[in-house]
Parts: sequence; structure tokens; C-alpha cells
Amino acid sequence: MKTANTESTLSPIWNWKITALSFALLFFVGILAVSFGPVSLDFMKIIKTLFGLPGGLNGQERTLLIDLRLPRALLAALVGAALATSGAVYQTVFRNPLADPYLLGAAAGAGLGATIAITSAGADLYSLLPIFSFFGAILAVLVSFFISGKFFAEPNSLLLSGIAVGSFATAVQTYLQQRNSSSLRPVYSWILGELTVANWQKVAWSSVYIFIALTILITVSKQLDGLMLTDEEAYSLGINPNKLRVIAVVAATLATATAVSASGLIGFVGIVVPHLVRGITHRVTNRGLLTIALVGASFLVLADLGARTLLSPAELPIGVITAFVGAPFFLVVLRKKRLVSK
Amino acid sequence: MTSVIKVEDLTVRLGSREVLRGISLEIEHGKWTCLVGPNGAGKTTFLKALLGSQNYSGSITDSGVEVFKNHDRNVAFVPQHPQIPIGMSVSEYVMLGRSKRDGWGNESTSSRKLVAEILKLTGLFGMQNQFVTQLSGGEMQRALIARALVQEPTLILLDEPTSALDLHHQIAVLNNIELLKERGVTIISTMHDITLAAMYAEKIIVMQEGRVLLNGSSDEVIHSPELKSAFENRINVYTLESGRPVIVAKKEK
Repeated sequence: MKTANTESTLSPIWNWKITALSFALLFFVGILAVSFGPVSLDFMKIIKTLFGLPGGLNGQERTLLIDLRLPRALLAALVGAALATSGAVYQTVFRNPLADPYLLGAAAGAGLGATIAITSAGADLYSLLPIFSFFGAILAVLVSFFISGKFFAEPNSLLLSGIAVGSFATAVQTYLQQRNSSSLRPVYSWILGELTVANWQKVAWSSVYIFIALTILITVSKQLDGLMLTDEEAYSLGINPNKLRVIAVVAATLATATAVSASGLIGFVGIVVPHLVRGITHRVTNRGLLTIALVGASFLVLADLGARTLLSPAELPIGVITAFVGAPFFLVVLRKKRLVSK
Repeated sequence: MTSVIKVEDLTVRLGSREVLRGISLEIEHGKWTCLVGPNGAGKTTFLKALLGSQNYSGSITDSGVEVFKNHDRNVAFVPQHPQIPIGMSVSEYVMLGRSKRDGWGNESTSSRKLVAEILKLTGLFGMQNQFVTQLSGGEMQRALIARALVQEPTLILLDEPTSALDLHHQIAVLNNIELLKERGVTIISTMHDITLAAMYAEKIIVMQEGRVLLNGSSDEVIHSPELKSAFENRINVYTLESGRPVIVAKKEK
């Protein structure tokens, strides 16, 4: 009889079946999302259309799928993957389970950048959003580093300075938004998070940045585990902690800024999804990053489905849905954290 | 003559403070060398310099190669105050010691076997699915030692490996470290308990205010009059019938 004490080996740390399963989940959720709406599309016909098989959708239904629902679902998936992955990475780098893209003021900085674009550029605003957001986010991260004292100060002081920078950026952003009452509505709806303006062009540019950022992060994912230790321990395990932190923070911020400029401020994905995956698998290793990205994508696709259908024909801002799920979840994590660090 | 760690005119500044001041000495491979001295003597900084992660001036060569930022070495580091990752299981934690060998990918079958073996050796087998945050001080220390062991290092640096432990666990951990030495690993540790240091280490280096005061075999160092002056005459050295020295702090008046 085999018992725990006579086993001569350990089971692998990461079970890749979970990653495969999360791929399947995203596929299923994606098909579900594009089939639901004011006009329901047939499940099998969608699959046939996507794979170019005979007997798929035609005419208006096909246009509805290809031009409206598909880009929207893909954009939701991209944004969800980006926010969940960067949340997980920020949590590792700053050794803080409550860190997410809102830490460091990254999201708020991106929001300020985008608001400046909307309020000053007027009509042609959406083409400028990503550029402004990215610089806003990077600037917020740099300022957070700068005011925390040293470039890599104690993780907690970085967290606090990030909160301060985030609040400041939000304050400036609110001021700009109120002063320019003509653009109040677009700014406001953008802040609450929206995917209604999804189109293939938007999917294309955001997928480029998000793909680059996620590839970098997944490549260094195993080494990121070492950042949960002291710098000397990380060093002795063969990691250059300072270099790795810069790579991780820049890539995660790129993903965050792209997500924010594509869809506005959608909160709590970065905290709900990583903890959900870690909770189910009982593993914190960053080899789970790909799974976190896939589950994040599924989560936001589902949230967007809810946003579209719950008050149909009206739409709820997607940020409302994620906050509705995320805020109570955040409190649970907060409580659990207090228990384990006691 | 290359199989030593050679330290020449090692100086470390942290801000405006000179923490290590012109240290020159040699540390033999395959032996257990213990750094002792009062708090603030620079022991931990010396360990970090030997690890290669600390900026320094002067030179430290390990078998003829400068150690600073040299990632080709395989040196294990056991800190006094480890960062304990929330939500990480004991097996994940110990397995980190194999990451580099496994090419930062999936852990190999041999790695998983070795980790299981080392967990048994350190008495942690059966606890591999517990979170490291749930471990007691003694168990955590053993998990740290286990991670260092699976690294199969050539040199292991330990910062106060016994300071968080009760007497029973102190001996258990020190015996585990001694096992490493039998496998040919060079050991450099700091320890505030000189009696224990004399019991296990072959060499003792006494440090004070960033300088090396004494450097020699444990016996020589323990019985030298300079040891008392290093601790400002606040210690007494006794010899037991077995010949073992015991160092006891004097009671202040």
C-alpha cells in the first residue's frame, strides 16, 4: 500500500492539465459570449463559421458575428488576460497579495493620460488614447519609484507611494473631466470601462502590445518566483533580482496601459483572477501565469456578456460587473492575508 | 593553491558608513568557518560580499575567480530573516533550489526525487503540501536548509542559522549542516553562540567593527586572550572535562 510517507518522489509543482483546461474554458466561454445577445446565434453554426466549414451563419447573422460580437469578445479576452497577468506579476514583484494594476498608480496614470487625450483632442480622440495612456502609466510608475526613496525601496513604501500617485492622478483626471463638461459623458463612460466601441482595428493594436508583454512575462515566469524571497536568496538561486524586477514591471505596465486605453478602467480583474487560480490549484508559482491569463480572459468575456445582457437592451458598464464580483472578493483576500501573516 | 576563497583588502560602504574595513584573509574549501563577533561587526555584510551580491572594493576570489555578480558559481544562502512567501507550499519552496538546474522549466524527475529525499532527511516529508507561512520557526529553518541542500552547492553561506531555534533544534540543524560538510561542501556561517561555533566549526574568524580581530582554528581562537577583548572582557571561557570549551557571558554588576 502506498502512503504519503513511503513515496520516493513528489508530484510536479505545476499541473499543465490545468492550463489545457483553462484553454478549453476560454474557448467555451468565447462561443457562449458571441452567441448571446438581442439576436441569439446558433452555437454549432458559430463554430462552423469560425472554422470555415459549410453550414455556417450567413447574411446579417454573419456580419453580426464577425463585425460586432467577435471583436468585442476578443477585446474583452485580451484586456482580461492583460489585467489578470499584470496583477499576478505586480503581486509577486511587490510581495503583496493585494497589489494589482491600480498599485503604482499605473491604471490611474493611464486613465489620466487618456483623459488628457479625450479632453484636448476632441473628435479624433480614440486614435490618441493608447499613446497617452501608456505614457501616463509609465510616468506614474516612475514617479512611484522616485518618491518611494530608492529605485527599489522596500516593497511596502513603494505600495504606499503608488497609492499616493494614483490618488493624485485620479484627482487631476477628475478636475480635467469636470472642467471640460462637453466631454464629460465620453470620459465618464470610458472610466467605468466599456468595450462597446470594439472593432478589429482596436483588437489588432492592443493584441500586439499585450502579446509582447505577456510573452515576456511568461518567458521569465519561473524566475519571478525567486522575487518572492529576499534579494540574497534570489541571487543565490541564480536570479538577478533588480534586472528581473525592471523587466517584469515594464512588461506588466505595458499590458496594463494597453488594456486601460482599449477599454477604460476595469477594476478588480488583477486581484480576483490570480487569487482564484492560486486558490484552486494551491500553487503560487508564476508558471501559472498562462493559466491566469486564460482565466482572466474568460472572466472578462463573461463579465462583458453580463454587461450586455443583464439590463438588455441597455448596457451596464463592465467595470460595474467586475467591481460587484471583485470588491467582496478583495475583502475575503484581505481577511485571509491577515490570518496567514498573523 | 587555487582551492581557497581569497579575500584581499575587502571594504564595503553602506551609505557613508564603512561596514567592512580592509579585510584580507583566506578561507579554506571543504571546511566549516564561523564568523563571530558582536552585533554590528559586519558579519552579515561579509557573507553578502562572499555571495557576490554586495558591492565591494578590494577583491574576493573563489578558486581564482572574482565572485562579484558571478552567476556561474553555485552558492546557497540561508538568511537570518527570510522572506516567507504567502501561499507557497513547502514543496514549491524547497523546489526553488532546483530551478536553475532544471533550466527554469518543469522540474525534472531526478529533482523531484532529490527533493523528496532531502525533505525526509530534514524531517519535513509529509508536510510538503503545507504553506510555508504555517511552519514553526524550527520547521522554517529546516525548510531553508533543505532548499540549500537540494541546490547541491559548492559553498553554503548561513546567517545565524540557529538564532530562531530552541536548543534541541539548534543541534538538529547544525547536524544537518555538518552532513553538508561530509558531502564536501564548504560552509561559512555566522553564529552568535561561540560555544556552538567552537563545537562545530573548524575555523573561527572573530570580527569587530568591520575588521578581523582573530582568525584561526577554533581551539586557538577560543583560548586566545584577544577573544575576551573582542567582547570587551564581558565573557569567561571555561573548559569542560571532555575538553570542550564553554563561553559564558559575565553578569553585569
